[in-house]
Amino acid sequence: MGASDPVVSVEGVVKDFHAGFRLRRKRVLHGISFGVRKGEIFGFVGPNGAGKTTTLKVLMGLIGASAGRATILGCDVRDASVRRHVGFLPENPYFYDYLTGREILCFYARLSGVPRAHRDARVEELLGWVGLEQAAGARLRTYSKGMLQRIGIAQALVHDPQVVFLDEPMSGLDPIGRMEIRELILRLRSEGKTVFMNTHILPDVEMVCDRVAIIVNGRIRHEGAVDSFLGEGEPEADLVLAAVPAEVSMQLEQGFGAVLRGHGDRLEVRVREKHVQDVLAASLEAGAQVVSVTPPQMSLESIFLHAVEERD
Amino acid sequence: MGSISRMAAIATNTLREAIRNRLLYVLLFFAVSLMCAGIFLSALAYVEGERVLQNVGLGATRIFSVVIAIFVGVNLIHRDVERRTVYTILSKPLTRTEFLLGKFAGLVLTIWLQLTIMVVVFVAVSLLAGAPLDAGHAAAFILIGAELVLIVAVATFFSAFTSPMLASFFSAGIWGIGHLTRDLRDIGASSQSEAVQSATVWLHRVLPDLESFNLTIEAVHGLPISAADVGLALVYAAGYATLVLFAATAVFSRRDFR
Repeated sequence: MGASDPVVSVEGVVKDFHAGFRLRRKRVLHGISFGVRKGEIFGFVGPNGAGKTTTLKVLMGLIGASAGRATILGCDVRDASVRRHVGFLPENPYFYDYLTGREILCFYARLSGVPRAHRDARVEELLGWVGLEQAAGARLRTYSKGMLQRIGIAQALVHDPQVVFLDEPMSGLDPIGRMEIRELILRLRSEGKTVFMNTHILPDVEMVCDRVAIIVNGRIRHEGAVDSFLGEGEPEADLVLAAVPAEVSMQLEQGFGAVLRGHGDRLEVRVREKHVQDVLAASLEAGAQVVSVTPPQMSLESIFLHAVEERD
Repeated sequence: MGSISRMAAIATNTLREAIRNRLLYVLLFFAVSLMCAGIFLSALAYVEGERVLQNVGLGATRIFSVVIAIFVGVNLIHRDVERRTVYTILSKPLTRTEFLLGKFAGLVLTIWLQLTIMVVVFVAVSLLAGAPLDAGHAAAFILIGAELVLIVAVATFFSAFTSPMLASFFSAGIWGIGHLTRDLRDIGASSQSEAVQSATVWLHRVLPDLESFNLTIEAVHGLPISAADVGLALVYAAGYATLVLFAATAVFSRRDFR
Protein backbone atom coordinates (compact mmCIF):
# COMPACT_ATOMS: atom_id res chain seq x y z
CA MET A 1 0.00 0.00 0.00
CA GLY A 2 1.46 3.36 -1.08
CA ALA A 3 1.62 6.46 1.14
CA SER A 4 -0.98 8.25 -0.97
CA ASP A 5 -3.36 5.29 -1.16
CA PRO A 6 -6.57 5.62 0.84
CA VAL A 7 -6.63 3.86 4.19
CA VAL A 8 -10.22 2.82 3.57
CA SER A 9 -11.30 2.20 0.00
CA VAL A 10 -14.80 1.35 -1.17
CA GLU A 11 -15.15 0.68 -4.89
CA GLY A 12 -18.51 0.01 -6.50
CA VAL A 13 -19.95 -1.77 -3.50
CA VAL A 14 -23.43 -3.14 -4.03
CA LYS A 15 -25.51 -4.77 -1.34
CA ASP A 16 -28.74 -6.61 -1.95
CA PHE A 17 -30.93 -8.05 0.76
CA HIS A 18 -33.47 -10.73 0.08
CA ALA A 19 -36.66 -10.63 2.08
CA GLY A 20 -40.02 -12.29 2.27
CA PHE A 21 -41.20 -15.73 1.28
CA ARG A 22 -40.27 -15.14 -2.38
CA LEU A 23 -36.86 -13.75 -1.36
CA ARG A 24 -37.53 -10.51 -3.22
CA ARG A 25 -34.37 -8.54 -3.78
CA LYS A 26 -33.97 -5.12 -2.22
CA ARG A 27 -30.88 -3.14 -3.20
CA VAL A 28 -29.65 -0.94 -0.35
CA LEU A 29 -26.23 0.05 -1.73
CA HIS A 30 -26.03 0.99 -5.41
CA GLY A 31 -22.36 0.67 -6.29
CA ILE A 32 -20.97 3.22 -3.83
CA SER A 33 -17.35 4.38 -4.01
CA PHE A 34 -15.30 6.60 -1.74
CA GLY A 35 -11.94 6.71 0.00
CA VAL A 36 -10.69 7.74 3.43
CA ARG A 37 -7.21 9.23 3.76
CA LYS A 38 -4.69 8.55 6.46
CA GLY A 39 -5.05 10.63 9.62
CA GLU A 40 -8.34 12.31 8.76
CA ILE A 41 -11.73 12.27 10.42
CA PHE A 42 -14.15 11.22 7.71
CA GLY A 43 -17.83 11.86 8.20
CA PHE A 44 -20.24 9.49 6.49
CA VAL A 45 -23.48 11.40 6.50
CA GLY A 46 -26.98 10.50 5.45
CA PRO A 47 -30.59 10.36 6.58
CA ASN A 48 -31.95 7.32 8.39
CA GLY A 49 -32.15 4.35 6.06
CA ALA A 50 -29.66 5.80 3.58
CA GLY A 51 -27.23 2.89 3.90
CA LYS A 52 -24.67 4.27 6.37
CA THR A 53 -24.77 1.38 8.82
CA THR A 54 -24.94 -1.17 6.00
CA THR A 55 -21.76 0.33 4.53
CA LEU A 56 -20.07 0.18 7.91
CA LYS A 57 -21.14 -3.43 8.39
CA VAL A 58 -19.66 -4.30 5.00
CA LEU A 59 -16.40 -2.66 6.10
CA MET A 60 -16.46 -4.62 9.37
CA GLY A 61 -17.13 -7.90 7.59
CA LEU A 62 -20.46 -8.27 9.39
CA ILE A 63 -22.28 -8.50 6.08
CA GLY A 64 -20.88 -9.43 2.71
CA ALA A 65 -21.03 -7.13 -0.31
CA SER A 66 -23.05 -8.47 -3.25
CA ALA A 67 -20.57 -6.84 -5.64
CA GLY A 68 -17.64 -4.44 -5.55
CA ARG A 69 -14.59 -4.32 -3.35
CA ALA A 70 -13.86 -2.83 0.05
CA THR A 71 -10.39 -2.68 1.56
CA ILE A 72 -8.83 -1.36 4.73
CA LEU A 73 -5.08 -0.67 4.66
CA GLY A 74 -5.01 -2.45 1.32
CA CYS A 75 -6.47 -5.72 2.67
CA ASP A 76 -9.86 -7.11 1.76
CA VAL A 77 -12.33 -6.51 4.59
CA ARG A 78 -13.32 -10.19 4.57
CA ASP A 79 -9.87 -11.07 5.88
CA ALA A 80 -10.18 -11.20 9.70
CA SER A 81 -6.50 -10.36 10.13
CA VAL A 82 -7.10 -6.78 8.87
CA ARG A 83 -9.08 -6.17 12.02
CA ARG A 84 -5.86 -6.20 14.02
CA HIS A 85 -5.57 -2.61 12.82
CA VAL A 86 -9.24 -1.66 13.10
CA GLY A 87 -11.41 -0.53 16.01
CA PHE A 88 -15.21 -0.39 15.87
CA LEU A 89 -17.90 1.21 17.98
CA PRO A 90 -21.40 0.16 16.82
CA GLU A 91 -24.47 2.33 17.22
CA ASN A 92 -26.05 1.99 20.68
CA PRO A 93 -23.48 -0.61 21.71
CA TYR A 94 -24.45 -3.38 24.08
CA PHE A 95 -21.88 -5.22 26.12
CA TYR A 96 -22.05 -8.12 28.54
CA ASP A 97 -23.56 -6.11 31.37
CA TYR A 98 -22.63 -8.61 34.06
CA LEU A 99 -18.98 -7.71 33.52
CA THR A 100 -17.28 -4.67 35.02
CA GLY A 101 -15.68 -1.98 32.88
CA ARG A 102 -12.26 -3.43 33.58
CA GLU A 103 -13.36 -7.02 32.84
CA ILE A 104 -14.95 -6.13 29.51
CA LEU A 105 -11.80 -4.34 28.35
CA CYS A 106 -9.70 -7.36 29.42
CA PHE A 107 -12.06 -9.60 27.44
CA TYR A 108 -11.73 -7.49 24.28
CA ALA A 109 -7.97 -7.16 24.80
CA ARG A 110 -7.71 -10.93 24.89
CA LEU A 111 -9.80 -11.26 21.72
CA SER A 112 -7.64 -8.64 20.05
CA GLY A 113 -4.45 -10.49 20.83
CA VAL A 114 -2.99 -7.97 23.28
CA PRO A 115 -0.16 -9.91 25.00
CA ARG A 116 -0.95 -10.96 28.55
CA ALA A 117 2.08 -9.07 29.86
CA HIS A 118 0.75 -5.75 28.54
CA ARG A 119 -2.96 -6.38 28.93
CA ASP A 120 -3.56 -4.98 32.41
CA ALA A 121 -1.46 -1.88 31.77
CA ARG A 122 -3.26 -1.21 28.48
CA VAL A 123 -6.67 -1.59 30.13
CA GLU A 124 -5.76 0.82 32.94
CA GLU A 125 -4.35 3.28 30.40
CA LEU A 126 -7.59 3.22 28.39
CA LEU A 127 -9.79 3.53 31.47
CA GLY A 128 -7.87 6.70 32.28
CA TRP A 129 -8.05 7.87 28.67
CA VAL A 130 -11.85 7.72 28.61
CA GLY A 131 -12.19 8.96 32.20
CA LEU A 132 -13.66 5.80 33.70
CA GLU A 133 -11.03 4.93 36.33
CA GLN A 134 -13.54 5.48 39.16
CA ALA A 135 -16.21 3.29 37.55
CA ALA A 136 -13.85 0.55 36.36
CA GLY A 137 -14.97 -1.89 39.07
CA ALA A 138 -18.70 -1.32 38.55
CA ARG A 139 -20.80 -3.63 36.42
CA LEU A 140 -21.77 -2.24 33.04
CA ARG A 141 -25.47 -2.50 33.85
CA THR A 142 -24.97 0.43 36.23
CA TYR A 143 -23.34 2.62 33.55
CA SER A 144 -25.09 5.61 31.97
CA LYS A 145 -25.39 5.84 28.18
CA GLY A 146 -22.48 8.25 28.03
CA MET A 147 -20.30 5.92 30.11
CA LEU A 148 -21.23 2.99 27.87
CA GLN A 149 -20.28 5.04 24.84
CA ARG A 150 -16.91 5.81 26.42
CA ILE A 151 -16.29 2.17 27.34
CA GLY A 152 -17.29 1.39 23.75
CA ILE A 153 -14.62 3.73 22.45
CA ALA A 154 -12.12 2.19 24.88
CA GLN A 155 -12.84 -1.34 23.60
CA ALA A 156 -12.43 -0.08 20.04
CA LEU A 157 -8.98 1.22 20.94
CA VAL A 158 -7.83 -1.63 23.15
CA HIS A 159 -5.41 -3.03 20.56
CA ASP A 160 -4.20 0.42 19.46
CA PRO A 161 -5.74 0.26 15.96
CA GLN A 162 -4.75 2.56 13.09
CA VAL A 163 -8.31 3.05 11.86
CA VAL A 164 -11.34 3.60 14.08
CA PHE A 165 -14.93 3.23 12.85
CA LEU A 166 -17.67 4.89 14.89
CA ASP A 167 -21.36 4.38 14.13
CA GLU A 168 -23.46 7.32 15.37
CA PRO A 169 -21.11 7.92 18.30
CA MET A 170 -23.07 10.89 19.63
CA SER A 171 -26.61 9.67 19.12
CA GLY A 172 -28.77 9.76 22.23
CA LEU A 173 -26.19 11.63 24.30
CA ASP A 174 -26.86 14.83 26.23
CA PRO A 175 -24.84 17.94 25.27
CA ILE A 176 -22.10 17.18 27.80
CA GLY A 177 -21.84 13.60 26.63
CA ARG A 178 -21.62 14.77 23.01
CA MET A 179 -18.90 17.23 23.88
CA GLU A 180 -16.90 14.52 25.68
CA ILE A 181 -17.14 12.15 22.73
CA ARG A 182 -16.21 14.96 20.31
CA GLU A 183 -13.11 15.64 22.35
CA LEU A 184 -12.19 11.95 22.36
CA ILE A 185 -12.55 11.83 18.57
CA LEU A 186 -10.34 14.89 18.14
CA ARG A 187 -7.77 13.29 20.44
CA LEU A 188 -7.77 10.22 18.22
CA ARG A 189 -6.85 12.39 15.23
CA SER A 190 -4.13 14.15 17.21
CA GLU A 191 -2.65 10.70 17.92
CA GLY A 192 -2.49 10.00 14.20
CA LYS A 193 -5.43 7.66 13.91
CA THR A 194 -7.83 7.67 10.99
CA VAL A 195 -11.45 8.00 12.07
CA PHE A 196 -14.50 7.01 10.03
CA MET A 197 -17.69 8.34 11.59
CA ASN A 198 -21.27 7.56 10.61
CA THR A 199 -23.64 10.26 11.70
CA HIS A 200 -26.64 12.35 10.87
CA ILE A 201 -25.84 15.10 13.41
CA LEU A 202 -24.49 17.74 11.05
CA PRO A 203 -23.16 20.29 13.56
CA ASP A 204 -20.91 17.55 14.95
CA VAL A 205 -19.66 16.80 11.45
CA GLU A 206 -18.87 20.47 10.85
CA MET A 207 -17.01 20.62 14.16
CA VAL A 208 -14.85 17.51 13.91
CA CYS A 209 -14.69 16.14 10.37
CA ASP A 210 -12.07 16.95 7.73
CA ARG A 211 -13.92 15.35 4.85
CA VAL A 212 -17.38 14.07 4.34
CA ALA A 213 -19.41 11.88 2.02
CA ILE A 214 -23.18 12.21 1.83
CA ILE A 215 -25.12 9.05 1.11
CA VAL A 216 -28.79 9.12 0.16
CA ASN A 217 -30.82 6.07 -0.80
CA GLY A 218 -27.71 3.93 -1.10
CA ARG A 219 -25.92 6.34 -3.47
CA ILE A 220 -23.08 8.74 -2.73
CA ARG A 221 -24.31 12.26 -3.56
CA HIS A 222 -21.31 14.33 -2.52
CA GLU A 223 -17.80 13.70 -1.32
CA GLY A 224 -15.21 16.29 -0.36
CA ALA A 225 -13.65 18.48 2.32
CA VAL A 226 -16.06 19.97 4.85
CA ASP A 227 -14.54 23.44 4.25
CA SER A 228 -15.24 23.21 0.54
CA PHE A 229 -18.88 22.36 1.23
CA LEU A 230 -19.26 25.35 3.50
CA GLY A 231 -18.25 27.75 0.72
CA GLU A 232 -20.15 26.05 -2.06
CA GLY A 233 -23.47 26.88 -3.70
CA GLU A 234 -25.85 29.78 -3.35
CA PRO A 235 -26.60 30.80 0.23
CA GLU A 236 -30.13 30.60 1.57
CA ALA A 237 -31.88 32.29 4.47
CA ASP A 238 -34.56 30.96 6.78
CA LEU A 239 -37.50 33.20 7.66
CA VAL A 240 -40.32 32.51 10.08
CA LEU A 241 -43.54 34.42 9.33
CA ALA A 242 -46.91 34.51 11.06
CA ALA A 243 -50.41 35.27 9.83
CA VAL A 244 -49.48 34.88 6.19
CA PRO A 245 -52.49 35.00 3.85
CA ALA A 246 -52.84 31.97 1.57
CA GLU A 247 -52.43 33.96 -1.63
CA VAL A 248 -49.15 35.39 -0.36
CA SER A 249 -47.86 31.88 0.42
CA MET A 250 -48.55 30.96 -3.18
CA GLN A 251 -46.78 34.10 -4.39
CA LEU A 252 -43.70 33.31 -2.28
CA GLU A 253 -43.57 29.81 -3.65
CA GLN A 254 -44.20 30.60 -7.29
CA GLY A 255 -42.63 34.05 -7.52
CA PHE A 256 -39.47 33.54 -5.46
CA GLY A 257 -39.01 29.77 -5.46
CA ALA A 258 -39.34 29.67 -1.67
CA VAL A 259 -39.65 26.34 0.16
CA LEU A 260 -42.48 26.55 2.69
CA ARG A 261 -43.25 24.52 5.79
CA GLY A 262 -46.29 25.35 7.89
CA HIS A 263 -46.45 24.94 11.69
CA GLY A 264 -49.85 26.11 13.00
CA ASP A 265 -50.21 29.78 12.07
CA ARG A 266 -46.48 30.06 11.45
CA LEU A 267 -44.74 29.54 8.18
CA GLU A 268 -41.09 28.57 7.77
CA VAL A 269 -39.72 29.99 4.54
CA ARG A 270 -36.38 28.98 3.02
CA VAL A 271 -35.41 31.32 0.21
CA ARG A 272 -32.33 32.31 -1.78
CA GLU A 273 -30.40 35.24 -0.34
CA LYS A 274 -31.17 37.49 -3.33
CA HIS A 275 -34.95 37.16 -2.74
CA VAL A 276 -34.94 37.85 1.02
CA GLN A 277 -35.79 41.56 0.72
CA ASP A 278 -38.58 40.91 -1.82
CA VAL A 279 -40.12 38.15 0.31
CA LEU A 280 -40.06 40.33 3.41
CA ALA A 281 -41.60 43.26 1.54
CA ALA A 282 -44.38 41.16 0.01
CA SER A 283 -45.18 39.54 3.35
CA LEU A 284 -45.29 42.76 5.35
CA GLU A 285 -47.39 44.44 2.68
CA ALA A 286 -49.96 41.64 2.97
CA GLY A 287 -50.14 42.10 6.76
CA ALA A 288 -47.96 39.15 7.78
CA GLN A 289 -45.68 39.36 10.81
CA VAL A 290 -41.98 38.59 10.69
CA VAL A 291 -41.07 36.32 13.64
CA SER A 292 -37.40 35.72 12.79
CA VAL A 293 -34.85 35.93 10.03
CA THR A 294 -31.82 33.61 10.08
CA PRO A 295 -28.92 35.13 8.16
CA PRO A 296 -27.90 33.49 4.90
CA GLN A 297 -25.47 30.62 5.29
CA MET A 298 -24.42 27.82 2.99
CA SER A 299 -23.91 25.10 5.55
CA LEU A 300 -23.47 21.39 5.32
CA GLU A 301 -27.10 21.19 6.30
CA SER A 302 -28.14 22.96 3.08
CA ILE A 303 -26.02 20.60 1.01
CA PHE A 304 -27.44 17.69 2.93
CA LEU A 305 -31.04 18.82 2.50
CA HIS A 306 -30.48 19.45 -1.20
CA ALA A 307 -29.05 15.98 -1.58
CA VAL A 308 -32.04 14.47 0.20
CA GLU A 309 -34.47 16.57 -1.85
CA GLU A 310 -32.78 15.43 -5.07
CA ARG A 311 -33.79 11.92 -4.06
CA ASP A 312 -37.45 12.96 -4.02
CA MET B 1 -1.72 -20.05 19.64
CA GLY B 2 -3.57 -16.77 19.10
CA SER B 3 -6.53 -18.68 17.77
CA ILE B 4 -6.64 -20.93 20.87
CA SER B 5 -6.41 -17.90 23.14
CA ARG B 6 -9.28 -16.14 21.36
CA MET B 7 -11.47 -19.26 21.48
CA ALA B 8 -10.58 -19.71 25.16
CA ALA B 9 -11.68 -16.10 25.82
CA ILE B 10 -15.05 -16.77 24.17
CA ALA B 11 -15.41 -20.15 25.92
CA THR B 12 -14.62 -18.72 29.36
CA ASN B 13 -17.09 -15.91 28.88
CA THR B 14 -19.73 -18.32 27.58
CA LEU B 15 -19.29 -20.45 30.69
CA ARG B 16 -19.57 -17.34 32.83
CA GLU B 17 -22.72 -16.25 30.99
CA ALA B 18 -24.31 -19.71 31.07
CA ILE B 19 -23.83 -20.23 34.79
CA ARG B 20 -25.66 -16.95 35.35
CA ASN B 21 -28.70 -18.40 33.61
CA ARG B 22 -31.35 -19.12 36.24
CA LEU B 23 -33.00 -21.71 34.02
CA LEU B 24 -29.92 -23.87 34.47
CA TYR B 25 -30.31 -23.85 38.24
CA VAL B 26 -34.03 -24.56 38.07
CA LEU B 27 -33.43 -27.59 35.84
CA LEU B 28 -30.51 -28.72 37.97
CA PHE B 29 -32.71 -28.45 41.05
CA PHE B 30 -35.40 -30.63 39.46
CA ALA B 31 -32.81 -33.19 38.33
CA VAL B 32 -31.26 -33.44 41.78
CA SER B 33 -34.73 -33.56 43.40
CA LEU B 34 -35.75 -36.41 41.12
CA MET B 35 -32.55 -38.30 41.91
CA CYS B 36 -33.17 -37.86 45.63
CA ALA B 37 -36.81 -38.87 45.18
CA GLY B 38 -35.40 -42.10 43.76
CA ILE B 39 -34.68 -43.13 47.36
CA PHE B 40 -38.41 -43.10 48.12
CA LEU B 41 -39.28 -44.79 44.84
CA SER B 42 -36.78 -47.54 45.58
CA ALA B 43 -38.33 -48.02 49.04
CA LEU B 44 -41.69 -48.58 47.37
CA ALA B 45 -40.30 -51.23 45.04
CA TYR B 46 -40.82 -54.86 46.13
CA VAL B 47 -37.52 -56.03 44.71
CA GLU B 48 -34.28 -54.48 43.38
CA GLY B 49 -34.93 -51.11 44.97
CA GLU B 50 -31.37 -49.95 44.36
CA ARG B 51 -31.78 -50.64 40.62
CA VAL B 52 -34.91 -48.52 40.51
CA LEU B 53 -32.92 -45.80 42.28
CA GLN B 54 -30.08 -45.94 39.78
CA ASN B 55 -32.41 -46.21 36.80
CA VAL B 56 -34.18 -43.06 37.90
CA GLY B 57 -30.84 -41.35 38.61
CA LEU B 58 -29.31 -42.12 35.22
CA GLY B 59 -32.56 -41.29 33.42
CA ALA B 60 -32.90 -37.96 35.23
CA THR B 61 -29.27 -37.13 34.50
CA ARG B 62 -29.71 -37.81 30.78
CA ILE B 63 -33.04 -36.03 30.33
CA PHE B 64 -32.24 -32.93 32.35
CA SER B 65 -28.73 -32.61 30.90
CA VAL B 66 -30.15 -32.71 27.40
CA VAL B 67 -32.84 -30.17 28.26
CA ILE B 68 -30.18 -27.86 29.73
CA ALA B 69 -27.91 -28.39 26.71
CA ILE B 70 -30.69 -27.50 24.29
CA PHE B 71 -32.23 -24.58 26.11
CA VAL B 72 -28.98 -22.93 27.11
CA GLY B 73 -27.29 -23.83 23.82
CA VAL B 74 -29.86 -22.47 21.39
CA ASN B 75 -29.92 -19.09 23.11
CA LEU B 76 -26.23 -18.38 23.36
CA ILE B 77 -25.48 -17.28 19.80
CA HIS B 78 -28.93 -15.83 19.25
CA ARG B 79 -28.57 -13.57 22.30
CA ASP B 80 -25.25 -12.23 21.04
CA VAL B 81 -26.77 -11.48 17.65
CA GLU B 82 -29.97 -9.97 19.01
CA ARG B 83 -28.20 -7.76 21.56
CA ARG B 84 -25.54 -6.96 18.95
CA THR B 85 -22.63 -7.93 21.20
CA VAL B 86 -21.56 -9.97 18.20
CA TYR B 87 -20.77 -6.72 16.35
CA THR B 88 -17.96 -5.71 18.69
CA ILE B 89 -16.73 -9.28 19.09
CA LEU B 90 -16.51 -10.01 15.37
CA SER B 91 -14.90 -6.63 14.72
CA LYS B 92 -11.86 -8.00 16.53
CA PRO B 93 -9.32 -10.17 14.70
CA LEU B 94 -11.43 -13.24 15.40
CA THR B 95 -12.84 -15.48 12.70
CA ARG B 96 -16.45 -16.58 12.84
CA THR B 97 -15.25 -20.17 13.15
CA GLU B 98 -13.25 -19.25 16.27
CA PHE B 99 -16.30 -17.50 17.71
CA LEU B 100 -18.59 -20.45 17.08
CA LEU B 101 -16.13 -23.04 18.36
CA GLY B 102 -15.47 -20.88 21.44
CA LYS B 103 -19.19 -20.74 22.13
CA PHE B 104 -19.45 -24.50 21.63
CA ALA B 105 -16.53 -25.19 23.98
CA GLY B 106 -17.99 -22.88 26.64
CA LEU B 107 -21.32 -24.64 26.47
CA VAL B 108 -19.71 -28.09 26.65
CA LEU B 109 -17.83 -26.95 29.76
CA THR B 110 -21.11 -25.72 31.27
CA ILE B 111 -22.90 -28.97 30.54
CA TRP B 112 -20.04 -31.09 31.85
CA LEU B 113 -19.96 -28.98 35.01
CA GLN B 114 -23.63 -29.62 35.69
CA LEU B 115 -23.13 -33.29 34.75
CA THR B 116 -20.38 -33.51 37.37
CA ILE B 117 -22.78 -32.13 39.98
CA MET B 118 -25.36 -34.76 39.00
CA VAL B 119 -22.75 -37.52 39.17
CA VAL B 120 -21.79 -36.41 42.68
CA VAL B 121 -25.46 -36.48 43.74
CA PHE B 122 -25.93 -39.88 42.06
CA VAL B 123 -22.94 -41.34 43.90
CA ALA B 124 -24.06 -39.84 47.21
CA VAL B 125 -27.61 -41.15 46.83
CA SER B 126 -26.35 -44.61 45.75
CA LEU B 127 -24.04 -44.80 48.75
CA LEU B 128 -26.85 -43.72 51.06
CA ALA B 129 -29.13 -46.39 49.66
CA GLY B 130 -26.37 -49.01 49.67
CA ALA B 131 -26.58 -49.48 45.90
CA PRO B 132 -23.49 -50.91 44.16
CA LEU B 133 -21.19 -48.62 42.17
CA ASP B 134 -18.65 -49.88 39.65
CA ALA B 135 -16.88 -49.10 36.38
CA GLY B 136 -20.11 -49.69 34.49
CA HIS B 137 -21.63 -46.60 36.10
CA ALA B 138 -18.56 -44.58 35.21
CA ALA B 139 -18.83 -45.74 31.59
CA ALA B 140 -22.54 -44.84 31.52
CA PHE B 141 -21.82 -41.30 32.71
CA ILE B 142 -18.90 -40.89 30.30
CA LEU B 143 -21.19 -41.81 27.41
CA ILE B 144 -23.89 -39.43 28.67
CA GLY B 145 -21.15 -36.76 28.55
CA ALA B 146 -20.34 -37.78 24.95
CA GLU B 147 -24.02 -37.71 23.97
CA LEU B 148 -24.26 -34.21 25.41
CA VAL B 149 -21.33 -33.05 23.28
CA LEU B 150 -23.19 -34.25 20.23
CA ILE B 151 -26.44 -32.58 21.28
CA VAL B 152 -24.62 -29.31 22.06
CA ALA B 153 -23.11 -29.45 18.56
CA VAL B 154 -26.58 -29.95 17.07
CA ALA B 155 -28.01 -27.06 19.16
CA THR B 156 -25.09 -24.87 18.08
CA PHE B 157 -25.71 -25.76 14.45
CA PHE B 158 -29.38 -24.78 14.55
CA SER B 159 -28.73 -21.66 16.63
CA ALA B 160 -26.24 -20.51 13.99
CA PHE B 161 -29.07 -19.66 11.61
CA THR B 162 -32.54 -19.95 13.17
CA SER B 163 -34.51 -18.56 16.08
CA PRO B 164 -34.16 -20.15 19.55
CA MET B 165 -37.64 -21.62 19.36
CA LEU B 166 -37.01 -23.37 16.04
CA ALA B 167 -33.50 -24.37 17.12
CA SER B 168 -34.79 -25.95 20.33
CA PHE B 169 -37.61 -27.67 18.45
CA PHE B 170 -35.19 -29.12 15.85
CA SER B 171 -32.57 -30.08 18.45
CA ALA B 172 -35.11 -31.82 20.67
CA GLY B 173 -36.47 -33.57 17.58
CA ILE B 174 -33.03 -34.80 16.58
CA TRP B 175 -32.46 -36.06 20.11
CA GLY B 176 -35.79 -37.90 20.19
CA ILE B 177 -35.34 -39.45 16.76
CA GLY B 178 -31.69 -40.16 17.54
CA HIS B 179 -32.81 -42.56 20.26
CA LEU B 180 -35.15 -44.32 17.84
CA THR B 181 -33.03 -44.67 14.69
CA ARG B 182 -31.64 -48.05 15.72
CA ASP B 183 -35.17 -49.40 16.38
CA LEU B 184 -36.37 -47.87 13.11
CA ARG B 185 -33.57 -49.59 11.22
CA ASP B 186 -34.42 -52.93 12.86
CA ILE B 187 -38.12 -52.51 12.10
CA GLY B 188 -37.30 -51.45 8.53
CA ALA B 189 -35.11 -54.53 8.06
CA SER B 190 -38.12 -56.77 8.66
CA SER B 191 -40.21 -54.86 6.12
CA GLN B 192 -41.10 -56.39 2.75
CA SER B 193 -40.52 -53.07 1.00
CA GLU B 194 -37.01 -52.32 -0.23
CA ALA B 195 -37.76 -48.62 -0.14
CA VAL B 196 -38.65 -48.77 3.55
CA GLN B 197 -35.55 -50.85 4.23
CA SER B 198 -33.19 -48.45 2.53
CA ALA B 199 -34.97 -45.38 3.98
CA THR B 200 -34.59 -46.65 7.55
CA VAL B 201 -30.96 -47.63 6.90
CA TRP B 202 -30.22 -44.14 5.60
CA LEU B 203 -32.04 -42.52 8.50
CA HIS B 204 -29.86 -44.55 10.85
CA ARG B 205 -26.74 -43.48 8.96
CA VAL B 206 -27.54 -39.79 8.66
CA LEU B 207 -29.18 -39.07 12.02
CA PRO B 208 -27.19 -39.67 15.19
CA ASP B 209 -27.54 -43.10 16.74
CA LEU B 210 -27.91 -41.93 20.31
CA GLU B 211 -28.66 -45.37 21.69
CA SER B 212 -24.92 -46.02 21.27
CA PHE B 213 -24.50 -43.80 24.33
CA ASN B 214 -27.11 -45.50 26.48
CA LEU B 215 -25.53 -47.92 28.95
CA THR B 216 -28.21 -47.54 31.62
CA ILE B 217 -29.36 -51.16 31.55
CA GLU B 218 -25.80 -52.54 31.53
CA ALA B 219 -24.70 -50.25 34.38
CA VAL B 220 -27.75 -50.78 36.56
CA HIS B 221 -27.82 -54.55 36.11
CA GLY B 222 -24.07 -55.03 36.31
CA LEU B 223 -23.84 -56.48 32.80
CA PRO B 224 -20.44 -56.55 31.08
CA ILE B 225 -19.51 -53.45 29.07
CA SER B 226 -16.90 -53.73 26.36
CA ALA B 227 -14.19 -51.06 26.41
CA ALA B 228 -14.18 -51.25 22.61
CA ASP B 229 -17.89 -50.31 22.51
CA VAL B 230 -17.28 -47.34 24.79
CA GLY B 231 -14.26 -46.30 22.70
CA LEU B 232 -16.22 -46.60 19.46
CA ALA B 233 -19.09 -44.56 20.89
CA LEU B 234 -16.62 -41.84 21.91
CA VAL B 235 -15.07 -41.78 18.43
CA TYR B 236 -18.55 -41.71 16.90
CA ALA B 237 -19.56 -38.74 19.09
CA ALA B 238 -16.37 -36.87 18.23
CA GLY B 239 -16.73 -37.55 14.51
CA TYR B 240 -20.42 -36.69 14.34
CA ALA B 241 -19.99 -33.53 16.42
CA THR B 242 -17.08 -32.46 14.18
CA LEU B 243 -19.20 -32.86 11.05
CA VAL B 244 -22.10 -30.94 12.60
CA LEU B 245 -19.77 -28.14 13.73
CA PHE B 246 -18.21 -28.03 10.29
CA ALA B 247 -21.67 -27.48 8.81
CA ALA B 248 -22.46 -24.91 11.53
CA THR B 249 -19.33 -22.86 10.78
CA ALA B 250 -20.05 -23.03 7.04
CA VAL B 251 -23.54 -21.60 7.61
CA PHE B 252 -22.44 -19.07 10.24
CA SER B 253 -19.56 -17.77 8.11
CA ARG B 254 -21.98 -16.77 5.36
CA ARG B 255 -24.53 -15.18 7.62
CA ASP B 256 -25.27 -11.45 7.30
CA PHE B 257 -25.70 -9.62 10.60
CA ARG B 258 -28.29 -7.07 9.53
